[in-house]
Amino acid sequence: MIKRAILGAGILAAGMWAASSSASAESLTMYCGVDEVWCQQTARAFEEKTGITVNMTRKSAGEIYAQLRAEAANPKADIWWGGTGDPHLQASEEGLTVEYKSPLLNQLQPWAIKQAETSGYRTVGIYSGALGFGYNKDLLAKNNLPEPKCWADLIKPEYKGHIQVANPNSSGTAYNMLATIVQLFGEDKGFEYMKALHKNVNQYTKSGSAPIKAAGLGETTIGIVFIHDAVSQVVAGFPIVPVTPCEGTGYEIGSESIIKGARNLEAAKKFYDWALEADVQSMAQKAGSFQVPSNKAAKTSDKAPDLSTIKLIDYDFKKYGSSEERKRLLKKWDEEVASLPQ
Amino acid sequence: MAEIRSNAASVTFDHVTKTYPGASMPAVDDISLAIEAGKLVTLLGPSGCGKTTTLRMIAGLEMPSSGRILIGGKDVTRLPATDRDVSMVFQSYALFPHMTVMENVSYGLRFSGHDKKEAASRAHAGLELVGLTGLEARLPSELSGGQQQRVAVARALVLEPQVLLFDEPLSNLDAKLRRHVREEIREIQTKLGLTVVYVTHDQEEALAVSDRIIVMNKAVIAQDGTPRELYDAPANAFVADFIGEANILDCEVVSVEGDEAAVRLGSLALKLPARGQLVGPAKLAVRPSRIEIGPAGRPRTIAGRLEKVTYVGSHLELIIGTPHGQVFAISHNIDAPFQAGDSVGIGFPERGPVLIKA
Amino acid sequence: MRFRETRWPIEPVAVLWMAVGWLGFAVLPWYGIEDGFFGFSWLFDGYPSDSEFAPALVLALKGEKLWLAPLGLLLVVPLLLWGRTKSDPVFSRLLIIVSAAGFGWLLFQGFAIGLRGWQFGWLTSLFGELGDRQFGMGYGALLVSGAFLFLFTLGVAARGAVSGDVFVVGSIGFVVAMVAIFIFMPILMMLANAMQTDDGGYSPVAFLAKLFSSRLWSLACLAGGSRCGVAWNSLLLAVLVGLLTMFLGLVFALVVTRTGFRHGKLLRALTVLPIITPAFVIGLAIILLFGLSGAVTQSVAGAFGLQPTRWVYGLPGLLIAQVLAFTPIAFLVLMGVVEGVSPSMEEASQTLRASRWQTFWTVSLPLMRPGLANAFLLGFIESMADFGNPLVLSGNYDVLSTEIFFAIVGAQNDAALAAILALVLLAFTLGAFYAQRFWIGRRSYTTVTGKGDAGVHPRLPAGLTYALYVIAGLWTAFTVLVYTVIFYGSFVKLWGVDQSLTLEHYRKAFSVGWNEFGIHWSGSAWSSFWTTMEITLISAPLTAGIGLLTAYLLVRQNFRGKNAFEFATMLSFAIPGTVIGVSYIIAFNVPPIELTGTGIILVLSFIFRNMPVGVRAGVASMSQIDRSLDESSLTLGANSWQTFRRVILPLLRSAMLAALVYSFVRAMTAISAVIFLVSARYDLSTSYIVGRVENNEYGIAIAYSTVLIVVMLMVIGLMQLLVGSRNIGRRGIQQGDGGWSVRTNVSLPGTAGGPTTIAGAG
Repeated sequence: MIKRAILGAGILAAGMWAASSSASAESLTMYCGVDEVWCQQTARAFEEKTGITVNMTRKSAGEIYAQLRAEAANPKADIWWGGTGDPHLQASEEGLTVEYKSPLLNQLQPWAIKQAETSGYRTVGIYSGALGFGYNKDLLAKNNLPEPKCWADLIKPEYKGHIQVANPNSSGTAYNMLATIVQLFGEDKGFEYMKALHKNVNQYTKSGSAPIKAAGLGETTIGIVFIHDAVSQVVAGFPIVPVTPCEGTGYEIGSESIIKGARNLEAAKKFYDWALEADVQSMAQKAGSFQVPSNKAAKTSDKAPDLSTIKLIDYDFKKYGSSEERKRLLKKWDEEVASLPQ
Repeated sequence: MAEIRSNAASVTFDHVTKTYPGASMPAVDDISLAIEAGKLVTLLGPSGCGKTTTLRMIAGLEMPSSGRILIGGKDVTRLPATDRDVSMVFQSYALFPHMTVMENVSYGLRFSGHDKKEAASRAHAGLELVGLTGLEARLPSELSGGQQQRVAVARALVLEPQVLLFDEPLSNLDAKLRRHVREEIREIQTKLGLTVVYVTHDQEEALAVSDRIIVMNKAVIAQDGTPRELYDAPANAFVADFIGEANILDCEVVSVEGDEAAVRLGSLALKLPARGQLVGPAKLAVRPSRIEIGPAGRPRTIAGRLEKVTYVGSHLELIIGTPHGQVFAISHNIDAPFQAGDSVGIGFPERGPVLIKA
Repeated sequence: MRFRETRWPIEPVAVLWMAVGWLGFAVLPWYGIEDGFFGFSWLFDGYPSDSEFAPALVLALKGEKLWLAPLGLLLVVPLLLWGRTKSDPVFSRLLIIVSAAGFGWLLFQGFAIGLRGWQFGWLTSLFGELGDRQFGMGYGALLVSGAFLFLFTLGVAARGAVSGDVFVVGSIGFVVAMVAIFIFMPILMMLANAMQTDDGGYSPVAFLAKLFSSRLWSLACLAGGSRCGVAWNSLLLAVLVGLLTMFLGLVFALVVTRTGFRHGKLLRALTVLPIITPAFVIGLAIILLFGLSGAVTQSVAGAFGLQPTRWVYGLPGLLIAQVLAFTPIAFLVLMGVVEGVSPSMEEASQTLRASRWQTFWTVSLPLMRPGLANAFLLGFIESMADFGNPLVLSGNYDVLSTEIFFAIVGAQNDAALAAILALVLLAFTLGAFYAQRFWIGRRSYTTVTGKGDAGVHPRLPAGLTYALYVIAGLWTAFTVLVYTVIFYGSFVKLWGVDQSLTLEHYRKAFSVGWNEFGIHWSGSAWSSFWTTMEITLISAPLTAGIGLLTAYLLVRQNFRGKNAFEFATMLSFAIPGTVIGVSYIIAFNVPPIELTGTGIILVLSFIFRNMPVGVRAGVASMSQIDRSLDESSLTLGANSWQTFRRVILPLLRSAMLAALVYSFVRAMTAISAVIFLVSARYDLSTSYIVGRVENNEYGIAIAYSTVLIVVMLMVIGLMQLLVGSRNIGRRGIQQGDGGWSVRTNVSLPGTAGGPTTIAGAG
């Protein structure tokens, strides 16, 4: 009796499983490097539009890159969509991805085209996000603090204990900030800056976007993050004000690439083009992502800052994306900054 | 309706030894025995003597460390319990508490190749045999101790095993019921002509039901014989003392002529069956009821002094101090005027003392 | 008379397994199918000729992957046994040799040839480049390895091991193989991984440098530096949590059993809540209460004119959250122990002129020592493995579990570092496990039989009673407060910003609509919710099954190496979930066993993580079932499998229920292991909730958790109905007394008597 019931439940479950995994004729396997919700939304939208089944796996950009390398002999995925540009560039250098010139290329922002050119058209920018910070206006007022406008403001002593930033060892965002500061001020001065900032930091979080979420909840006053993450908080209703630093700032270019040896190459190309369309990119904000789309005609939230008004530095993706430079800077940060008393 | 029949077979142990892992001494030490088909044989002995281990080896629940076991002439030494045609009634009855009486009784039939209908009809026959018709739907917990016992017997019987084993089957019953049930078991056994091996530590039970008794002590067989043989002619002091009660007295064999030995007990000279004893020191085993107590100073008696006299209803129990140690005796003459402190003479009737090894 | 004399020319069991092996070798696809274990598109997709879906036999005939061919040959060899009986020494010898060779070859080729040809350098230098590769094993390999395994155990049984019982030997072989593959192999591969350098070589130097780095072991905080090593942080936290949960658990247990407190049931119900709450939800509530902008912090700061601080981030917050989460476990453990102390001991002490106070100190408390040690150990291990609370509360107080996670998913992507950290964590928990075993030794003062002797536990001295009331009262109030926040928080629009009430979060997560296909599960949580139910409902009965089978082997069978066997099956208890997660990723990401991204890996991780509980529950109840029941079944002609199924299992209902409920609850609330193992297709509730927490969508996270708590209560109720109960009378087998309170006679390894309960979120 019991056995039969358990068996029944098992069969039922297996049935559900089988049903949920029955495959249709055409399919596309996608490695997705952005937020889960955005990934899901994109995959479902493509399915609806084309009838091609999308098998999507979400992982961080670094993980996807590592997996591509491991699977080089037997690629399992067709397209890699989203995630910061560095690993996309590395993959294109190593020939893990395919050259493809989308007919939509001419609709794109210059920085997206530049990304494609750098890689020999093995990858292309789909969105971009600038680094900056955000503050909780209620807390700022309560503590009678002046409004921070520049990187230089953040190291003022009155902000002591009010700033949160991620640990560059665990977060790509924070590493991007470290690299930005080094490029902005030069390495020596840059590290002086990080040391001064260290005194004001109340917590180095693990994940890159955690600081602005803490600011939203009122658990810290200022959080250093990508500006689109700060915008998400604003849209969610938190009393956050995003700030683009006056000195200029670094940025990331989210990209997409077609994987070499893709089993569904045609579907992959279809997706590649589709993802560059203006109305597709305009959907991102529905998933709570407020990056700047690469298609000039794509719309974004009115709360998101216009990338053209932001002073962007000429971020050297090649140098600061390389693993030697990354290791060197992180080691230096660990030794010279993290070990200091706060 | 199906009828329960017998497939009685003999059991043979050929130099069987069982040593449990980690134990320094064997639990059963080089035992050889033969049990005829259709007989009820009892394994009797104090706890730890190896009788239960012997029984479990017949069942296939333990494997011997060395030696061979044959059932019905077939070597079953390495055969596990499942594959042997042997059933067992456990001390605790081991009725499956989650099954009804019917399910319990037909349990084994289902594994023996009987279909549902045949199994049911056989189970009914088994329950009828033990007088439990009408209780088929009950759970074991809804039965009395005696009824549970019968279910256990029926469950074993319906398989018509070559050998039926009983492991202290009566020990959970009260004294009156015990007598009744053991007679029933004996009755069924004789009626069907089953081979039964029966383990008990109760010598009275053993004497009452057995065709033959195998007394075990310290992992070996102390004596093997009919109840009467064991009682009247114990092979050694252990058997003499374990079967009933016996006074063991030191004596001396003076000479042996044929089957007759001349024995000296203090001043007393006796002629007794020699039973293989040689000249030299020996022992006498004397049943308390085979001691004659009379006035002191009679011929062919040894002198003693009553130390204690206890009246127990049907008889008197007497403890007598003698030069050869204390002697325990029973007098059925409850009106005899014995009193503690009296001097008495102790005599032995002809069939009284048994000569055993020193 | 038994009609089982039909003579087969060859042992039927051997035939069965040869057939299974041949089915796997010649019929089913050898390699794993990409669209999952239960995807059947391969049937119409080029099978059997397409190399991707071909059976090994077809591959061999096509001249591909010839290294698989010997397996087929070995599967034929047992036919040589034609006409030989099981007791023939040739029978066992041949089977053992053939199946060992087959199994060994299967493993060897699996490990030696991978995605990129030869996996070992020496093979390349020996044979040159292979020019071929293979993927993860699939149905075919599974059946063939099963066939070899059971042919092997058949051979061993035929040699007379365990009285020649095929079922028992097979079961032992099965459990051993399972434990070896799914516990030992991942741990060993993790160890190997820890020694690996970035470029793939092995370097003990780099390993030692990482192992003894100051990040792990620095003692700077003692000397006035900024912070101490992660390892010390974890250790300090775990010890404090262990001590505090033990203390509070004892207080509650004493209140319920020894003070005449009348609402014990209520208290028990309350203590169950934290066990079925996803751990980080408590951490979240703590932030909402005690964070910089938390309700309590703000009102206290306002009342005393103080500057609010971030005091709760770090050790204090972690301590509060973990003690809150794990005290119930200590309570349940100690309930059993405190009740188990024989009242007659205490009565004896009192008749010997000891006062109540003296009795408590000199008799009652010392008798509870094994239980106290158990409670401490559980708190210690749970704290070490806890992942959810540190994720939200740790501030700058880094602990091992989160460090491990971010070593893998963070920008570092350093699996070797993760493996090293996991090893340190494992060393701590195993150390505690052993210390406890050593300290308790064979000391066990309670009875397992559950037979209480007549007598009443004496009341505690009045002063102590009041002290206990105060402590328990305060803590209960605190728990209630936290749960009020959780419950209330699920209805608040945006905590701290917009306090208006709304059902929005529930709607967003669990809305249901209709479309042309029927019900449309449009809420964002449904996908992970159904996956979770599916995975947990599959894994719970399997966990209970393998646990009870193992218990049966441990209690009812004698075989060589039983102690080692017992230890191996209990080992996974001391392995924190984080370590299981990391080691599974390392071990099952590449061929021969490729499971990452599937639902199977989640099921497996649940089974082997929760198995010890099934084992302990089974051992405890099985020791209460008279052995003569099995023996009588055997003498009645049932074999040991039939005995296990028809006699033992039905009598183990309460143990089965406990194991089912426990593994279900554990699987529903687990986060530490699964966070590494979930994939887009198989996302679980807990990892979905963590994602929402990371996105600041606290409303949905809390609403989801509330739903989970309710669902768990319902499923547990349902399981109780399903397992059911039938009056089996006075033999003293206790039926589940409201099994959902997860109170079982589960005792920790090495503490034979101490009835304990292991529960909680890992």
